[in-house]
Amino acid sequence: MTLEIPIKIFRYKAGDTAPHYDTFRVKVAEAANVLDAIEAAWAEHDRTLTFRHACHHASCGACAVRVNGVEKLPCITPVSEAWPGQGEMLIEPLRNFPIISDLVVDVAGFFQRMIASGLIITRTAESTLPLSAEPSGSVPQPVQIPDGLERLNRFESCVECGICISACPTMAATDKFFGPAGLAGIYRARQETGDRALATRLLELADGEHGVWRCHSAYECTEACPQDVDPAGAIMALRRELIGYRLKRLFGR
Amino acid sequence: MATQPYQPSKLRRTLVWGDIRKRRLGMIAYVLNRITGIGLVVYLYLHLIILSMLAGGPGSWDPFVTLAKSPAFLALDVVLIAGWLIHGLNGVRVGLNGFGIGVRAQKAMFVGLMVVAVIGIAAMALAIFVKG
Repeated sequence: MTLEIPIKIFRYKAGDTAPHYDTFRVKVAEAANVLDAIEAAWAEHDRTLTFRHACHHASCGACAVRVNGVEKLPCITPVSEAWPGQGEMLIEPLRNFPIISDLVVDVAGFFQRMIASGLIITRTAESTLPLSAEPSGSVPQPVQIPDGLERLNRFESCVECGICISACPTMAATDKFFGPAGLAGIYRARQETGDRALATRLLELADGEHGVWRCHSAYECTEACPQDVDPAGAIMALRRELIGYRLKRLFGR
Repeated sequence: MATQPYQPSKLRRTLVWGDIRKRRLGMIAYVLNRITGIGLVVYLYLHLIILSMLAGGPGSWDPFVTLAKSPAFLALDVVLIAGWLIHGLNGVRVGLNGFGIGVRAQKAMFVGLMVVAVIGIAAMALAIFVKG
């Protein structure tokens, strides 16, 4: 079955005095995702519409936008969920980022914060877990994850989509805040390193003016995260570690 | 002609603080804490201004005491108590979460503490209007 959906898209091009919205009627399959509808608007109505996308399966995080006001990865958001059958489906760029063109935002600042920990955040633990050796002809099975490693893998689910930055009310007030993904990255990097001096440096980085104490515990980052990373949980864990660190320093230990 | 990336104005961005449309319980708690926090700061200054009336002697203080006993003014006392309880109890939740306590149960904690707040507000309102 084909759906005909009115899709209202945020538009802005360099040189425009102000942004505006365009509405297109697009035809997509009932099982389509929102990204298919955006692509249909581009393909059938306006080739100047700009948006990011790559993998189409929530692996790259490039396509993140707001669908009806809520941060989503449109590549995995079904139109049946985003459009109840009446009214328009609203597509807007992520909040708290400079908007370059239409749905494309400038993510440079976000990645600068992400790498400030000095460790590049990768998904290596997820991708390099070997498959178990199976006799020829049988289907290989993933190895059992050792106890405790699941907790460490948690942040490595991050696809760096920027959704947590868009959902965070503190980021709306200051772009100097390290942000949920950056702080979760610091927490993850601390867990990963065996270097105590580096672990302390990372903790002090999180303790800075724009670190964990700027978070106002709205938990929107964790709620919005499409990968269940739980940045707010990481921020609270960093706070707990910082309190312990400061108490130890206070008593000269 | 603008060629820079578009950024909504600071005011427009800051209004996000109060926008709870399609947001979850944590955001509602965040907005409640901001509203009650601002309210309590305003009250503090009002309180100091009112106390300064004491310097004017009985002539300026006694009419205020009469006003303070009016039902409308007593209703404001209930609003003040609501602000204290909501802000204080929500602050306990945020504080505990900051120590890593109850982070995963933060929504349940918020609901539970707000139930306590509602009971407290009702009890205080009863005490002010019925027993007062």
